[in-house]
Amino acid sequence: MFEWFDRRFPTQLVARRNLSRTKVRSALACLGIVIGVIAIASLGMFGAALRTQATQNLGEIGNQVVISPDRSEGVESLTGRDVRTIERAADGQTVLPVKSNVSTITVGRQQSRVQLYGMERPAQTYAARVGTIPDPLRSGALVGSSLAEDLDIGVGSTIEVDGNTYRVRAVLEEGDAFNPVSPDSAVILPERAIPESGYDNVIVVAETGEAANATAQAVRDSLNDREPRVTVFELSSITDQISQFFTVLNQFLIGIGSISLLVAGVSILNVMLMSTVERREEIGVMRAVGYQKRQILKIMLAEAILLGVVGGIAGALISLGAGMIIHQVLLDNALLAFRPEVLVYLPVALGFGVATSAISGLYPAWKAANERPVEALRN
Amino acid sequence: MIATVPVVQTRDLVKRYETGGETVVALDHIDFSVAAGEFVSIVGPSGSGKTTLLNMLGLLDGPTEGEIRLEGEDVTDLSSRERTAARKRTIGFVFQHFFLLPTLTAVENVEVPRLFDDDPETTARAERLLERVGLGDRLRHKPSELSGGQKQRVAIARSLINEPRLLLADEPTGNLDRETGKQILEEFARIKREDDVAIVAVTHDPLVNEYTDRTVELVDGVTS
Ligand SMILES: Nc1ncnc2c1ncn2[C@@H]1O[C@H](COP(=O)(O)OP(=O)(O)OP(=O)(O)O)[C@@H](O)[C@H]1O
Ligand SMILES: [Mg+2]
Repeated sequence: MFEWFDRRFPTQLVARRNLSRTKVRSALACLGIVIGVIAIASLGMFGAALRTQATQNLGEIGNQVVISPDRSEGVESLTGRDVRTIERAADGQTVLPVKSNVSTITVGRQQSRVQLYGMERPAQTYAARVGTIPDPLRSGALVGSSLAEDLDIGVGSTIEVDGNTYRVRAVLEEGDAFNPVSPDSAVILPERAIPESGYDNVIVVAETGEAANATAQAVRDSLNDREPRVTVFELSSITDQISQFFTVLNQFLIGIGSISLLVAGVSILNVMLMSTVERREEIGVMRAVGYQKRQILKIMLAEAILLGVVGGIAGALISLGAGMIIHQVLLDNALLAFRPEVLVYLPVALGFGVATSAISGLYPAWKAANERPVEALRN
Repeated sequence: MIATVPVVQTRDLVKRYETGGETVVALDHIDFSVAAGEFVSIVGPSGSGKTTLLNMLGLLDGPTEGEIRLEGEDVTDLSSRERTAARKRTIGFVFQHFFLLPTLTAVENVEVPRLFDDDPETTARAERLLERVGLGDRLRHKPSELSGGQKQRVAIARSLINEPRLLLADEPTGNLDRETGKQILEEFARIKREDDVAIVAVTHDPLVNEYTDRTVELVDGVTS
């Protein structure tokens, strides 16, 4: 089965035969690489799964900015003028003023005090789980997912708020944990349903994270120019921090994995040194019959690399299994291990494994290549 | 008739070893030459410099003084790389301890010197050489499955794979019994005749004189 391959690549024929000569020893050296590669790959995949788990909870909120009155400065609400200033600063991005209130709602015979939001265009930032969100919202109500569950509200139910009845148009998707205007336990009504004149929040939904950043800065510049009036909350800053944290965590995990690969490298160095001592005469003969130094170097290096490739591939395959288990446990879906940002750790770890073996093989190979044949063949 | 150029020729060859402040003169002004189709044996007591001379002739080591010519070309001062290339081109080696690669089959061992040449003819040629030394039925055997004489015949086949002009053998029969040693020497005599190769063999074996054209005796690094 190897015939053609051996003919094309005689180096690896000799290397393979030599390794098979000391099977147990080669297998142990290989095992070191297997373990090192598994350590790197599965720790990397573990980090990727943790990141996914965390960002799943955060959701896609990186492009939103939430502006609130700065209560520590005595500002209680945002005026229509503030909203217009924000609209100018937001420069074409969607601006959603939000009024809020806490009131008692009645559903059937149940009553509950809930958070109310009054918004003209909630469809711009929330998604419906059931039903559809009219855009703009002129009549009817939208209900957050946990509230809907608690009070057993569905699309078409009627709820009573402050003496007015509203038909439920939609139950919303779960919102993002960090969002200050979280809809989960709230009822969203048309803006005019809330009597207050001022706004409690203004949400800016930007096209991209960068546009959100720019808007946040522009709002700060124009509203907090003379004295602080608003607080500007960029959700992207949180996602950035989280993503930075996970990058550091991942590097740390891979660093730990690399230590085991280092140990594997030392064991390959040891195996190769033993092998050059044992095969001193054979190498001497090869030099005598016309092998150049660099050909000896190639053969010895091929042995080390072969150990790395075999160990690395075995390690990568095992890691793939480990990655599936990790994703099943953390994310309830083993198939998520097949995402490119996860799979990338396999070739990375394989590369580390092969590189480690090659580097470990370098010194023994160099030593073997530079042995003088007369010395090697003296008996 | 034009005088033929010797395959290998030394002039005033001196090899000194410095060890621990002491100087050993292993070869002391040796003039030696072998022609194509000539079988020369080198005899002499232990430590007289036989292996040293063979290493010089085989370009495995360089002399301290003097000159070596290989097929008329001065090879005294070649770089290690050029010497390696010259060895491959012109010289075959047979050793007392055979030095076959234990992981390779007989054919593969014979192919070893040409393994990197990417020549599809090599295997067929290796098989022919093994048939010629009487091992046609042992092609796929590993060295551990061969007798001493068979191993040495594989080694001889290996030394011939590059069609050398010069065959160097250091005690080729030293590890073999009398009868097997005789077969090996006959093999050399046949190669000399059929391939017009120059053969230099170091030996203690008195039998060797039956097959050689000439015997050179070395004593303390001096020929006599
Ligand atoms: N690398 C070396 N360093 C120092 N001295 C050496 C070296 N190689 C050979 N000698 C010395 O050179 C002399 C000749 O050695 P050589 O091996 O050529 O002898 P020989 O005739 O082949 O002996 P034998 O029949 O035992 O093989 C010896 O005195 C030996 O000690
Ligand atoms: Mg000797």
